[in-house]
Formats: sequence, structure tokens, C-alpha cells
Amino acid sequence: MLALIRPDSWNFPLFLHILGATVLFGTVATVAIAGFAARSRPENAQLLARVAQRTFMLGIVPAYILMRAGAQWIDSKEFPNGDEPGWVGVGFVISDAGVILLLVVAILLAVRRQRILLAVPVLTGLYVIALGVAWVAMSGKP
Amino acid sequence: MSTYQWLLVFHVTGAFLLLGGGAIAAALNLSALGRERPSEILLLFGLVRIAVVAISIGTALAFVFGLWLVHEAGYGYFDGWVVAAFLLLIVANALGGAGGKRDQATVKLAQELAASGDAPSAELRARVRDPISLALSYGSGLVLIAVLALMVWKPGA
Repeated sequence: MLALIRPDSWNFPLFLHILGATVLFGTVATVAIAGFAARSRPENAQLLARVAQRTFMLGIVPAYILMRAGAQWIDSKEFPNGDEPGWVGVGFVISDAGVILLLVVAILLAVRRQRILLAVPVLTGLYVIALGVAWVAMSGKP
Repeated sequence: MSTYQWLLVFHVTGAFLLLGGGAIAAALNLSALGRERPSEILLLFGLVRIAVVAISIGTALAFVFGLWLVHEAGYGYFDGWVVAAFLLLIVANALGGAGGKRDQATVKLAQELAASGDAPSAELRARVRDPISLALSYGSGLVLIAVLALMVWKPGA
């Protein structure tokens, strides 16, 4: 039952972290959905590219900042000496490596060439799976 | 991993599908607000169905494994925060369902207009931006965020 006991001061950063992570998951999935839909509907490719671009700027970027800032905040409270267990490391690896992947996606969306855009749903689909691994590690704490 | 940890993994997976599905629906809905052509609105509303599947699976997982977790962790089924969370989950589903029904009528109109020339229509534009539909759908999302807050703070536990 020790896992259930949490000081009240941890709740707000944890709330921000989870809220950011769930919105990040949803918005990355939206870009993947728009990208895959564009493959089967080339006549709507420009519209779906715009949807992906807007979702990236207005959804993914703020959600990532919320998730990552919340993670750092609660990490500083829960492990002030930096002695984090492995499951925390899994989360940081996935979130920090995700920045590189998301930067590549941002560049591809900015270039907006039809053939280049084909990579967007694959990259974002992979990141959706990685986020799934992160939430399993964060919640299960193996 | 212990039984508690496994139950938490499935409960949190449900929460991610539920809130993440809400984020997908919101992103596609916001994109549809700025469109005029019926076929484009139809496409974006059609993609929202993927979000509805995620929300449905997420609700079931969060509810079933949430109940199981209450038992496993030694909380009471009639603890205030548990009752409030389940009531709010029902409210969120009712609001989302009502908003979804209104959206179905919009999809039907968009289908008819797309099949007959695909010209922009003032009626379709008004339906897509219908304040009642938007209030129901986005209200549902806000209630779900309140449920998340209850899960984190567990007031009175």
C-alpha cells in the first residue's frame, strides 16, 4: 500500500504531467491519423497536411511542454537526490528522444512535399507506440 | 509486478485512450470548424469515429479496472471521491453522446450536400458551429479533466 501514499505537494505537478501526456498522445495520434488518411485520399492531402500542421503547433508543442515540465517538477520532488529508479529513466528516454523525432516531423510538415509527407504517419505512429511503452512503465513501475 | 500494479497499468491505459481520444476528436472538430466544402467536413467528421472507438474502449477499461482497483487498494466503493468520479464519468459520457448524436445529423447533411455538387452551405456551416453541440462535446472533455483531477487528489481518501 506504500505506492498509494503520496504527499499532497506532488499532486499538482503529477496532474499537469498526466494531462500533458494524455493530450500529447491524442494529438500525436491525430497527426498519424491525418497522415494515413492522406495516403488513401490524395485529393484531400493538402487539407490533411494542414490539419497535421495545425495540430502539431497548437496541440503537440504545448502538450509536450506540459508533460515534460510536469515530469521534471515531480521528479525533483520525488527524487531530490537524483536516485531515480529504472521506470523513471524509461520515461525520460522516450520523452527526450521524442523531441528529435518531433523535430523531424515538424520539418517534414513545413516542407509539405507529397512524397516526404508519407513519412509523417510512420514516425508519429512509432511515437504513439513509444508513448504507450512510457505510460506502462510510469503506471506499472516495474 | 503485483496485482495492484497490473490493474493500475490497465486503468491508466483506459484513461489515456479516453482523454487521448477526446484530444483527437477536439483536434479534428476544430479543423472542421474552418472548412466550407461539405466533402471536407464529411472527411474530418468521419475521422472522428476513430476517436469514438478509443473513447469507448478507454471508458470501459477505466471503469472496470477502476472498480477493481478500489477493491484491491482497500478504498470504499462509497468513498466520496470514488462516487464523484463515477458520477462524473457518466455525466461526461452523456454529454459526449448527446453531442455525438447532433454531429450525426451534421454528417448526414454533409453527405447529401457532397453528393449533390459539394457546394458550401450556410445550413451546414451553422450546424458545424452549433454552440449547443460544441458546448456538449467540449463540456464532456472538461468533465473528464475534472475526473482526472479527482483520481490524482483523491479528496477525503
